[in-house]
This record gives sequence, structure tokens and C-alpha cells, in this order.
Amino acid sequence: MALSRRAFGLGLLGAAAAGTGGYLTLKDRPEFRGYLGNRVHLFGFIGGEKQAFLADPDVVGALGGYGLELDARVAGSVEMVREPALLTQKPQFLWPSSSIMVDLARKSGVSIRNDQVVLNSPIVVYTWGPVVEGLKRSGLVSVAAKGGYNQLDLKALLDAILAGKNWSDLGISELYGRARIVSTDPNRSNSGFMFAGLVLSLMSGDVATQELLAQHGEAAKAIFRSMGLKSSSSGKLFDQYIAGGLGAEPMVVGYENQLVEWALADPARWQRVQAGAGAKPEILYPRPTVYSAHPLIVIDPAVDQLLEALTSPKLQELAWSKHGFRGPLGTVAGDADAIAGVRPAEIEAVLPMPSADVMLSLLSQMEV
Amino acid sequence: MISGQVDLKSSGSRADGASMRMKLSSVLALAAALLLAACNSSNVKFSIVSGSENTVLEPIVQEFCAKQGATCTISYQGSLDIGLGLQKPEGLDQDAVWPASSVWVDLFDSGRKVRNLTSIAQMPVILGVRKSKAAELGWIGKQVYMKDILAAVKDGKMKFLMTSATQSNSGASAYLAMLSGALGGKQVIEPGDLDNPSVHDTVSALLQGVERSSGSSGWLADLYVDSARKGTLYDAMWNYEATLKETNDKLKQMGDERLYAVYPADGVAVGDSPLGFIDHGRGADVEKFFTDLLAYLQTDAVRKRIGDTGRRLPLGGAAIQATAEPDWNFDPGKLVTSIRMPEPAVIRTALNLYQEALRKPSLTALCFDFSGSMENEGEKQLQEAAQFLFTPEKSSEVLVQWTPSDHIFVLPFDSTVRDIFDATGDPGGQNQLLGDVAQQRAGGGTDMYACASQALRKILATPDLSKYLPAIVIMTDGRTDGSAEPFLAEWRQAPVPVPVFGITFGDADKSQLDSLAKATSARVFDGGGDLAGAFRAARGYN
Repeated sequence: MALSRRAFGLGLLGAAAAGTGGYLTLKDRPEFRGYLGNRVHLFGFIGGEKQAFLADPDVVGALGGYGLELDARVAGSVEMVREPALLTQKPQFLWPSSSIMVDLARKSGVSIRNDQVVLNSPIVVYTWGPVVEGLKRSGLVSVAAKGGYNQLDLKALLDAILAGKNWSDLGISELYGRARIVSTDPNRSNSGFMFAGLVLSLMSGDVATQELLAQHGEAAKAIFRSMGLKSSSSGKLFDQYIAGGLGAEPMVVGYENQLVEWALADPARWQRVQAGAGAKPEILYPRPTVYSAHPLIVIDPAVDQLLEALTSPKLQELAWSKHGFRGPLGTVAGDADAIAGVRPAEIEAVLPMPSADVMLSLLSQMEV
Repeated sequence: MISGQVDLKSSGSRADGASMRMKLSSVLALAAALLLAACNSSNVKFSIVSGSENTVLEPIVQEFCAKQGATCTISYQGSLDIGLGLQKPEGLDQDAVWPASSVWVDLFDSGRKVRNLTSIAQMPVILGVRKSKAAELGWIGKQVYMKDILAAVKDGKMKFLMTSATQSNSGASAYLAMLSGALGGKQVIEPGDLDNPSVHDTVSALLQGVERSSGSSGWLADLYVDSARKGTLYDAMWNYEATLKETNDKLKQMGDERLYAVYPADGVAVGDSPLGFIDHGRGADVEKFFTDLLAYLQTDAVRKRIGDTGRRLPLGGAAIQATAEPDWNFDPGKLVTSIRMPEPAVIRTALNLYQEALRKPSLTALCFDFSGSMENEGEKQLQEAAQFLFTPEKSSEVLVQWTPSDHIFVLPFDSTVRDIFDATGDPGGQNQLLGDVAQQRAGGGTDMYACASQALRKILATPDLSKYLPAIVIMTDGRTDGSAEPFLAEWRQAPVPVPVFGITFGDADKSQLDSLAKATSARVFDGGGDLAGAFRAARGYN
């Protein structure tokens, strides 16, 4: 593959060189720099949710156009900014899934040259058709006036869980027993980490501070205790949701892009699910939610080029249309078919995360 | 490709490690290897350790291996044993694990050795009840809750078979569902809940319903069918929905009454039957073989075959699942509420609680063969066995420790029973038994049947026999005088069937032990290699 693309590039170069000034034109266009033969090899760590995006041949090709070749190894967002075993490998960049990780990296002594949010994905709740119908009846889910997507009154749901309400109390007669929601382990995985921040802020009535944590931390921790066994990674939890179905995994926390990516990975399977008689997967957007930002932490100057490439319209468009990631400000790049339910162009009511020190205190209190 | 398939057998036998018995076969094997290489086949050797419930899927896997020119070995272990194997620093030798539930990987694989763990099927653990019994209990077409099951057990109307919760996923699942039920539908079992005396009472009362136990779900299902063939119909069995289907298919063929599927409405545990890769650094082709196997198991045609076994398939599988069989309430499309798995620490505490307090107590008669043929090596192994069995620190490591409510007889024997030592399972009692065994020296003739008879009489003379799970365990090299028939005549007269297990030592001849175990619906385990493993296996049945 790489060889033929290279051959293609050389062909292009030949054609361009045939015209006067062609070479200079190419040199000024960074997305074609790679065809001039000067490829740069970059090594770093990324969160697992971006693995499919970076392995996508279209993305590899587009980066190749910039003369970039990535050796991106998967690591947990928290560990890549804190774990000496990883940092001593001298990564040239880090690409975790939350802005707070930039602070944590700095605290670990990483010399950060630059950092910028490249992609965004809101935290969503994955559930099933009958749950959405029931929650609409009980008023916990409403349709957003702008965008027509399903939004979940997460605070009301959390209160119902803390009060020990049954599914049937929430309008869902298909499920027996107490209502529950499950996320990943906040101490290991970013989506659970983000959700913990969101839950704490909702329980506090405002973006959480150390004082609010002292007052409302117990309620937040009770939500996580009621989850039982928590998965160590967002990808694993999403797989369990898909495999387990309505009975085993009625409500799980994930990133918006996960279902989109799953649907796009095998469109025929997606069609089958939609046409089938069983309960269908659904996205609920918590109101408010938090954005999982994906900041690229630049350590080596050579990575500046990568930052330029990833924020280019071409790669932003691929990130949205093929992998469901939003741009730096939560906006969408280009059109995309409404797959996996409605993907609103804009999400109302986004809460910032509590500060790093508040999150670290909460995490240490939740460690088992 | 056809030649590749045919020749695979010879390449397989070569891989079995048999030293070159016949030149011809090795020539054939070489030819096969060349042919396979020519077909671009992999020649990979790939091993999987799996829960016994997947025995029925082995042909599907082997078909793929054959097509790939790979030699696949599948061994079977309880899911908790697979977990314990992962927990050891050296891990497992196999290239892949396929336990009944990913819970055991989450719980034990602290070194993150397993990668790419992917669910192949969903398997709820439910209660199959003999249909006439279910009718008698008024359960046909009704929602049945754990409290209804408890009432049936307490009233002496129903007993059941269930695997050991500390060895097999189906037993652990049933047990955790019982705990959840006893807590009255909380979201999840939390640490303090296990200290609640009323939960202890409820669950130990439920576990009094255990009539036979085992370390393996597959073996338990076979026990049900074999016993039915011999004319004994057990009331009920906790097992996978799909395993109940397998069992009922056999019972139907035999013209026997089938098991009615009871899906406890307060929630059951669902195994996700995940297949995962363990990288031993054996090369890219081994990992590629795994990825290809996974992809093959997810193709529509293969999913259909997996669905035909009664397994539920992950999303999008509804259309190809097995058809419902309303006459025994089987419906893989039926929504089952699943219980939430507790935190790892809570699961560990719950398993210890099962072993040490809640399970039905064991009444175990241990026959130690101290005959002349056991001299030296056999004798040494026997003493090691006693050390393992009666040292709580050792036995608790693999969750087979005794509890004070257990009752143990130790019968050293040669041509006659030398003595009968008797103790409860508290540490003092165990220590006393350890001392008693330590004084024995090998010598004399052998009659294991005489020991079995004495053991049976001791068991039958025990007050409140119905409160115990009785078993005889014979530890021997298998060479015995005497004959089985007088013992078996006595055994048949006994009011309760007492299984006779064997653990073999030294250079054992298993044939006599095997037929004794078979006649009494038990099993023989090899104690010569992995002693702790053999005891752990045997204790799972008692």
C-alpha cells in the first residue's frame, strides 16, 4: 500500500515537475509535502478510542501527504501522562482524551511545547429503544427543540437511582429491578473519569470545587458504588453493551463517536440491526454533558506538523464523517448521514469539567 | 484444498509428539506439511483452554483449524480455574482462553495477559426443573422468583444439581443470583451486604437444596442424562440455557421427561463466553490465526451454527437464534434481566463465604492406600496429599478449604481397613487427621473395596445425613485385590447414592477405579502430576 502510494506520489511529482514552477507550488502546499520524499516518523501514545481513526487507510494516506508516519501506541489517558515506564520511552507526542491530562502531564514534568484540542466527543449514554420510550413517558427524556436529538435529564436519573427506584417507576416495564447506569472505572479509563466529574457537578448543582466535593462527594460515590464491577476501558464497556443487550446492559456511559464508528465499520450489520425485531441501540445526550476533548500534547518540534495536519479540513472531515469525532470547538466538519440516531450539529448545555485537583481528590476517594 | 484437509490428520498425529513410530507416517506428515505450505496454509499450532460448556462448539473450531492447516488443541477447565491460572505469575500456557464469563478474566488477570477478549455468545444461567415437578410447584407459565425457589427447597419439595461456585461459572452465577435475590433486588451486592445474617440464612437454606455438585457444567449435565438413563431423575439443575437445551435434546431422544426452563424473574447472571488471546511472543502468524478464528466465529454462517446450540448471539443475532420451544419454556429471544456483577473484592469475599460458610457441608470419607505397592514414591505422594488437604493455608489458596461444619473420615487401608479416624473440618480436627496419616507406613496387600464398604457404612451411620453432601474418595495406585460386586450390592441398598471418586498415584492402573466411579456416577482424577489440581477438581464434586 505504502509503496504504491509512494509511486503515485512520484508520478504526481513527475507530472508537476513537467510544468514550470510545479515543484514550488507543491512545496508551498503542506498536504503534498510527503510526496517530495521527506517522511517524518513520529512516536507517541494515544487513547484507545482514537486507534481506529489513526489506522484508517484514508487517515494514514492523508498524514502521509504531510510527510508523516505515526508509531502511535495505545495507553490509558491517565497512565500516559503519569506512568514513568511510558514517559521514559521519550514519546514525541501524547494524545490523551481529556484536557485535564495536559495539567497532569505538566505536573509529571513533561516539557510541553504546545497543546491544542484537536477532536472532541461528548459523553453520552447508550441505551435501548424500550428504555428511551419509557423515559419519555416518565419525562426524563425529551426531544431537543433544536436538532431533534434525545436529551436525558441526567440529574433526575441519578436522583432516581439514589432513591432506589425501579425501572418500572421510570416507565420501563420490560426490565425488572432497580434502575442503574454503568460507566468505566474512573481511576483507569477516561470516559468513567469524565462521567465522575459530570456526576459530581450535577450533585453539587454547579461545577464542582473542593468545598462542593466535601458536601456532595458521598452522593457521587454512591452512584459509582451501585455500578459494581466496572470495566477498565471504554472500548470494552461498549463491546459489553453491544453484546449484552437490553437485559444485561440497559444503560452505559460512552463517547458519542463509539456507536457511529461501530455502525460505519459494518454498514450491512447496522442495516440488519435496524431492520431486526429486537431492541435497537440508542444514544441519549445528557443535559448537561461534558466534552471529552482530545488535546494533542506536542513535546518534540517535529510534531508541530502533525498538529497542523490533524486540524486541517481534510482530516477534520474524515474524523467526523468516518469516526464520529467532532472538531476542536465541538462543531462538525462537513455533512454526515444521520447514522446511529441523530447526531446533532450542535449540543446545548455543556458543562466544563471540575479542575484537576478536585478530580484527583475525587479519584483518590473512589480508589478501591 | 481438499488434499490439505485430508492430509491434516497425519500432520496432526505428528504434532501430538508421538516419537516416530512409523517412518511412513512421518513421510506422510512431511508431504502434508509441504502440501499445506503450497496451499498457503498456516501450519500453526494453537491451543485453547475453555469452559466445558463449549465442548459442543469444538467441531466448529476444529473445522476452521483444519481449513487453515493448523493443529488446534482444546482443553477444558472450570472458568475459575482458568482465572486462577491467569493469576499465577507464569500465567497459562495456552494461546487463547475461552471461559464462560469475562468476569473471571477481569477478576484474576491482573497482569493483563489476555488481549482482544470478545464475546462469542450470551449464556444466561437458569434453573431447569423436571416438567412434572414444575407443574406440581405451580411454576408452568408463571413468573418464578428466588423466594419461590427457596420456599420449594425449604418445604423439601425440590432439590437440584449445581456446580461448585468456587470452581465453575454456572455455579458461581447461580450463587450470586441467590445472594442478589436474598438482598431484595438491590442494584448490586456491596461489601457490607455479605455480613448480613439474614442473607446468610437465606442463601445457606437455598444451598441446602444441592443434591449433587461438580466442578464442571458439562459434567453435571452428563450426570443428569446418565442418571436418567439409569432410572434416577433428579428434580432440577442450575445450568446454562444452552446446556439445558442440549440436555433436553438428549432426554427427548431417550423418551425421558424434559427440564422446564425457569428464568428467575429477579435476575440471573449471564455468561458472555468471551474468547481472548494470550501473547506468548510466538510470532505474528499465531496472532493472525487468532484474529482469523475470531472473525470466522463472527461470520453469519458460523453464528447461525452457534445459535443452533441454543446460545444467544450478540446484537443483530435475533434472526438466526434457535427457535423457541414453548413446551419447556425455552426462548433465547426472551428478555432476561441480568444481575449486576459486584466489585472484584466483593466477588472474592462472596466466594470465600460460599466455601467457608454457606455451601452445603461435605461428609467425606477418604480412603488412603498404604499397601505395599505404594512404598516409596506412592507413599510420599500420599503424605503430600494429606499435607495439602489438611493445611488450611494451602487448601484455601485454591478455594477448597474445609469448614467446621464439614465431617471427615480418614481410612488408611491395605488388605483391610487399618483404622478409622474421624474429625470435623475445623483447624484442630484437620491437624489431628494430619498427625494420624503421618504415622502410616506402606505395607501389606490391597483391597480398596473393603475400604469403600467401611466408608459407606460410616457415611450412612451419620446423623442428619441429608444436611451433607456425601462422597467417598479413594487415593490409590489402583492395583487391588477383592471384587467390586459385594460393595456395589451394598451401595445399591443405600438410601442415598454416595459417589466414589478416585485420585490416582504412582504408576496407577485406573481401570478398576474407573468402573467404580462410573457405577457410582463419579470421576477419577490424576494426582500424580498436579496434586493440588486433582484435589481441587475432586473437591468441586463434594
